This record gives sequence, structure tokens and C-alpha cells, in this order.
Amino acid sequence: MLLNGVRKAAIALERGGGRSGSEKTMGVSLRESMHQVSNPGNLDASVEEVFQMMLGLECRRDHGPADVSNDSVTAVVGFGGLLSGACVFTTGRESALQIAGAMTGMEFPDVDDTVKDGIGEICNMLAGAWKGKVPELSANCGLSVPAVITGRDYRLHVQAPEFQLHHVYRFQDSCFAVTIVCDGLQ
Amino acid sequence: MKEIQALIVDDSSVMRKIVERSLRQAGLDTLVVHEAGSGTEGLELLKSRPFDLILSDINMPSMDGLEFLRQIRTQNLASDVPVVMITTESSEEHVRQAIQAGAQGYIRKPFTAEQVKERVLPLIHVS
Repeated sequence: MLLNGVRKAAIALERGGGRSGSEKTMGVSLRESMHQVSNPGNLDASVEEVFQMMLGLECRRDHGPADVSNDSVTAVVGFGGLLSGACVFTTGRESALQIAGAMTGMEFPDVDDTVKDGIGEICNMLAGAWKGKVPELSANCGLSVPAVITGRDYRLHVQAPEFQLHHVYRFQDSCFAVTIVCDGLQ
Repeated sequence: MKEIQALIVDDSSVMRKIVERSLRQAGLDTLVVHEAGSGTEGLELLKSRPFDLILSDINMPSMDGLEFLRQIRTQNLASDVPVVMITTESSEEHVRQAIQAGAQGYIRKPFTAEQVKERVLPLIHVS
């Protein structure tokens, strides 16, 4: 439900740009660049870039499960245009506070609106950096504004995605997961 | 030294703070920051006082950064004030649209304070 909402917002944003959707996509297909679009290294590079530049934090990929089951904070940024889908950033409460603290230089006792805003921006920058790795995607895919969900016991489910990347990363004693879901590719 | 009146337009309050911190790290000690959470708010602020520098996001709800920029120019609100777009959108097409709408600079998120310094300082006159 939420994924559909942000995806539709991204599609509307992309269509609202300077040129029409048909003009933009004419003659361009991501199918030929599929190996680049689904390259897991692009996601790792994007995470490294965003965390180093904006937070001064070194992240490392972890092949274990993400420990974010209790009171998690999830941000979603939709993709629209040649690729439809979403970038989903999920982390636990403590890690969210740590990330927002590193972004702002402030201390947060609780997940308030500023923390949610910061997590949404991290997801926004990850989505932008990830699509920027493939020129055809960068030019022909729009981003929605971030949506942030907090709570526990919720799951992301996408029926028959074209492809999905799900990576877990660790920094200091915290972890987070980034998922790229593509459910439509032209 | 003369105060530098800067307008930062971004729907994210965290990003507004990060941009402000980066400008201060760039050496703009006399910076006076005014914040707007939307293009509409930004236009209202521009009508109320003069600015030396405008930094704006592109992806914002209701009025996006490009429309904000077009409105600045068409309403003749700050025709001689440098505008720098700060955005996650990095394609040549987005840069072209921003320049066409009247932006003098373009910074892609994520960014470093050094990048902000390189792109912003040449645009403002610090006496």
C-alpha cells in the first residue's frame, strides 16, 4: 500500500518534469543496462558515499541478518519513470538516533520528527546516489519525497519484483538494511 | 565584515541545518541564515527582505525547486542574487533545467563542506 503510494508520487513527479514521459523515454531502454542497474556493487558504493560524506561514518557490508526487529524506523523513496520501485532504508531505534545525531551534531533521546526527517533524507540520498550510478537511470527516473514509518512487526512485500537487492551494513555497533525493489522496468 | 544574508529552502529541516553548517565550515562567519520549508515560504521571505545568496533543494512537495527558481526570476524578486541548487538529482538534464531556470550553481547530495565552499564562495562578494 505504502510502496504503491510513494511509487505513484515518483511517477507523477517524473511526468511533471520539463519534458513529457514519452519524450524522455523515447528510444531509451534500461533492459540493455540491466546488468548495471542490478549490480550489487552500486548499492555498496552509494551507501559508502552517503555515510562517509554526510555523516563521516565508515560502513561495512555484513552478510548476516539485520538486527532491527524492535521499534524500527523505515524510510521509503519511490522510483518512477523507466524504472518503478522503491529504495527502502530500515534501521533500529538506537541506530536511527545515532545516525540523526551524526547528521546534525545533536543528541536525540527519542525518535522525534527531526530524527524521522534525517532518516528520510538518508534514504533520499541513497536512492539518488544509487540511480546516479547508471546514466540512463539517472536521466530517466524520478524520486518521490521520502515517507517514514516507525513501529514494529511490519514487513515489506512486493509481488514478483523484476529484481531486488537487500544488503545489511554495520557502522560502529549499529546496523541498517537497504533494499532496492524494482517492480517495473522499461 | 558585512553580514551575508542566506536563504536556505528545503523541506527537510535536517538538510537545512547541514547546509548551514557546511556554509559556516566554508568560512562564511558572518552568515545570517533564513530557512524556508517550501518554495512558497521561500517566495514570501524573498518579498520581505533582501538576500545575498539562495540555496534550494529541487525535490520538494507542492512547489519544487525549479518552479521556485522560475518564480523568483519571473516575479523579479531577486534577479541579481546567486542561486545554488542542492539536490539528489545529478543527471545532465537536471543540471541543464536548473541552469535554464536561472541557477548559477549546482551541488549534488551527498556533498562535502569543501564542495560547498568551491561552488558557493565564488558566487558571493565578501567584503
